[in-house]
Amino acid sequence: MLDQLETLYRSRLPEFRRVAAGIAGDRELGCDAVQEAFASAVRKRRTFRGSGTLEAWVWRIVVNAARDARRRRPALAEPHEPSSNGHAPLLPLDLLTERQREIVFLHYYADLDYAAIAEALAISPGTVGATLNAARETLRAALEEVH
Amino acid sequence: MDELLDRYVPLFDGPADWSDVLRRAKRHRRPRWRLLAIVVTVVAAFVVAPALAVLLRDRSVHLPSGADGSNIVVVMQPRTGRLLLEAAPWKGHDGFCYLVLRVRAGCVPRKARGTTVLTPPLFGWTFDPRVRSGTATTLGGKPVQLTVQHFGGRIDATLFLVRDWPPRLLREVVLRDAQGRVVARVRH
Repeated sequence: MLDQLETLYRSRLPEFRRVAAGIAGDRELGCDAVQEAFASAVRKRRTFRGSGTLEAWVWRIVVNAARDARRRRPALAEPHEPSSNGHAPLLPLDLLTERQREIVFLHYYADLDYAAIAEALAISPGTVGATLNAARETLRAALEEVH
Repeated sequence: MDELLDRYVPLFDGPADWSDVLRRAKRHRRPRWRLLAIVVTVVAAFVVAPALAVLLRDRSVHLPSGADGSNIVVVMQPRTGRLLLEAAPWKGHDGFCYLVLRVRAGCVPRKARGTTVLTPPLFGWTFDPRVRSGTATTLGGKPVQLTVQHFGGRIDATLFLVRDWPPRLLREVVLRDAQGRVVARVRH
């Protein structure tokens, strides 16, 4: 089990870090969250019952660690606030909900399919699809407004 | 969309550090001796606490054995339900037994019109049937209202006490009748 975790860590580290950085809102925090998440997975490896895939189990831990890191992050001024003339934010990802962002990151950064995302977030694949579509619509509308 | 996402969190690569993961995993592991200490403490609390409670209770003051246990009357603090005073007829005697705030207990023979004040905590009784209220005066001159309770029947006495905490030093107790006239004045 420890070997499998190490293999997963080494093979998918860039994706883990990118997703965690996206959720945590900070690259350093994201990297730290991944380290903490894998440390947690090592500690709790005997509780993995094998009902799903090991990767999905680890993704869930990484997502939770990144969420925690985001919550613990010192309150900084939002870098992408709407401009004073009322136009849309520069990066429309800020318009998405936390859940939408997580699904977008897992889908685009980690290249996970709906089933894997659903397993990682403990939701149904249908919810993943619907949420992803809603996120795409929001982003499309925001991008059209900007351009 | 891809361009937007690339810009939001650019792909970055850093060295993998699996040894750091293992170090963190070990660091967060709670030492077994601490777990053992917690278990021992909890078990000890469950085993020792009841025995300790019995021991402590046994050392507290009770109503004297001479009290007629079938005729106990009590005064409780209205809000907290705390037992302030217990009194009962004195078996085989003309008088009564008392327990005050679980710290002082005794039995008193009846006298014609005697008034007695004990302190601390301030507690007393009078066999004068006129007494209805009372005040004590602290060393600083501040008046303190007494809880005054008349018990009829075989006790047939009026008991009074100060229920404030911590107990204060008092220099004088004044007992009054229903019209507010001074019936007894006891100085310390």
